[in-house]
Amino acid sequence: MYAAWTVKHKPKSLAEVIGNKETIQKFVDWIKSWDKGAPKKRAAFLYGPPGIGKTVTVEALAYDFQMELVEKNASDYRTEDAINRFAGLASQYGSLFGGKRIVLLDELDGLTGTADKGGVKAITDIVKTAQCPIVLIANNAYDPRFSNLRSYCLLIEFKKPPAGEVTKHLKRICICEGIQADEEALKFIAQRSGGDVRSAVNDLQALAQGKKKLTYEDVSWLGYRDRQDTIFNVLRMIIYGRTCLSAKQAVDMANMDIDMLFEWIYENVPEHLTDPHDLARAMDALSIADVYRGRIRATQDWSFTRYVIDYMTAGVAMARQNTKAHGWIPFKFPARIQMLSRSKAERAMQLNIGRKIKRRCHISANRASKEVLPFLKIIFKNNADMAAGLAKWLDLDAEMVEHLAGSKEKAENIVKLLS
Amino acid sequence: MSFEMWAEKYRPKTLDDMVNQKEIVERLKSFVKSRNVPHCIFAGPPGTGKTTAALCLARDLYGDAYREHLMELNASDERGINVVRETVKTFARIRSIGEIPFKIMILDEADNMTSDAQQALRRTMERYTETCRFIMCANYSGKIIEPIQSRCAPFRFTFLPREEHDKYLKRISEKEDVKLLKDGLDAIFEVCSGDLRKAINTLQAAASLNKPVDAKVVYSITGRASPADVRKMIETVMAGNFLEARKQLRDMIQKYGVAGSDIIRQIHTEIFRTEIPEPWKIKLAGVVGEIDYRLVEGADEEVQLSALLARLVEAGNELRKAN
Repeated sequence: MYAAWTVKHKPKSLAEVIGNKETIQKFVDWIKSWDKGAPKKRAAFLYGPPGIGKTVTVEALAYDFQMELVEKNASDYRTEDAINRFAGLASQYGSLFGGKRIVLLDELDGLTGTADKGGVKAITDIVKTAQCPIVLIANNAYDPRFSNLRSYCLLIEFKKPPAGEVTKHLKRICICEGIQADEEALKFIAQRSGGDVRSAVNDLQALAQGKKKLTYEDVSWLGYRDRQDTIFNVLRMIIYGRTCLSAKQAVDMANMDIDMLFEWIYENVPEHLTDPHDLARAMDALSIADVYRGRIRATQDWSFTRYVIDYMTAGVAMARQNTKAHGWIPFKFPARIQMLSRSKAERAMQLNIGRKIKRRCHISANRASKEVLPFLKIIFKNNADMAAGLAKWLDLDAEMVEHLAGSKEKAENIVKLLS
Repeated sequence: MSFEMWAEKYRPKTLDDMVNQKEIVERLKSFVKSRNVPHCIFAGPPGTGKTTAALCLARDLYGDAYREHLMELNASDERGINVVRETVKTFARIRSIGEIPFKIMILDEADNMTSDAQQALRRTMERYTETCRFIMCANYSGKIIEPIQSRCAPFRFTFLPREEHDKYLKRISEKEDVKLLKDGLDAIFEVCSGDLRKAINTLQAAASLNKPVDAKVVYSITGRASPADVRKMIETVMAGNFLEARKQLRDMIQKYGVAGSDIIRQIHTEIFRTEIPEPWKIKLAGVVGEIDYRLVEGADEEVQLSALLARLVEAGNELRKAN
């Protein structure tokens, strides 16, 4: 009874999907072309903003054409192994039971930078030789990572459906649920969603479930709602929390690891706490929480985690004494995390170079990678002779030289001097 | 110019070569003379000769084959208790062959060892005193547990005095045929504040540009934590723009690899130069000190420093109100 309405009222067949009619027709034509053998483009790349029916369209199509849908999310194809496993699936048109098959790779955006670089390439390889239709979905097909993959795909852009269409969809749901809804109220929800049908339906459920009537007054207070609900609510509970306990409870809701939550709070606190005293108090609480994290590392005693949590939640909540809970301010994804994950491979490389330095210089690999490496970089960028000498002395491999030199050409010059 | 790390090339080989830390060196020489070494703690800031002194001591004691009687372990790479249980114990308990019955174990960056590992070490030190002497190098002896401290002879290393620092760098620049200008030397001292390893690395990197080493060159290569950058960040934050200042801080740390300790030292200097009421300066110095201490405790640099920035926003705000 409490199923999410986004699932319960999901369009089953293509006729029920709202908006994007021509787009969908293009997609259908491509699927039909498979009946005459594999077309030139063996994959369709569906892209567009979230919540406007890309996945739903593929599911509905599979339903209408009675095809078997093999669906994978980003989390399923991080490793090359996993990808190769369904390379097999993609290599035959029919399934075991005689039906036709579509392979859907959803949420390609979720493949992260360098870590999954091989992933995009492996997918490209599958697409090139696929014997059944492959459908790729991402929010942004023009991400540079996909540039090569893109050339093997039929690009199909999904656009936000007009608010009127969304309103109609909401109305249908209300009728199904036996709710009498004001046209104005539904229009308001539809407009708020900015074309994101999924979030509009979620909003409708939050506001109307269990009611017989839905009026404009019921919805007018509805603030902006973002896609990443949970974390935003969690942050709201912490930054605008009134009691220590409620702020602390937010951690359980967050369902993410403490360090990650710490980053979210650390990123967003300054945007919200505009009063300087509040800000200083909150940042101090985070600073103390961070000190406890250091103590955990030093002692390996994880029971100190409770104080980390105290300070990063209750400490931050109690910091707010002058800042009013005002209108809407967005919560931002922690920028530091993006920078860190991008440089994960880089840090591994630096530590390896650090180990080489350690063998020569009586300094820990850790410190070497932080303290000596920056100087090596300057030398390798500016002085090929000295760099070549050092590369030999430290016994660096070609990859390390390239890392330090910062470019292929410079690295080649240095390597030339070595031989 | 030669093609190895100069910091290594010009590292003193024997205690006689060591020009600085005179009192310490004298005491170490007396150990060599009596052919006996107690467990030691070498405490002091980076680049002041702790590891060098330990290596020189070993060489003077054992001669050129000193490596056979010596083990170097870096606690920051291998800091867990298992290392103590396995590596350290195995090395410590086997008797050395030769004239001197004990070996030497140098535990570098010992203040990075977990307290569990230190506890385990304490027993090892006691049990195998006959066969192994420990030299623990640490920035802060306070982070070494009391029972270990009480078993060790403490040595306190200090930053090199300015003249010795200059003498050292000038000697290297002459040998390597590098033109080191006066303001370049000043800049190196300002940036490295007596940390000799860092100073020599800075000199070498500056020399790699193949032009005379002046202040501009030095600032351009030392992670760009030039006083100007820090000053700009302080101005931004005192004007109330925390987010922009935090971004500048983030860039300094993540993009240019500036050490948090450098930034905080710079902030500390700037506070006394900035035009704010005198009583505020000492108030802020207290805050800087507290944050510095938290950094030393091993906390996250950006988080700690931005907590400091938030306090500066507060100060800037108070000042505007007062005017």
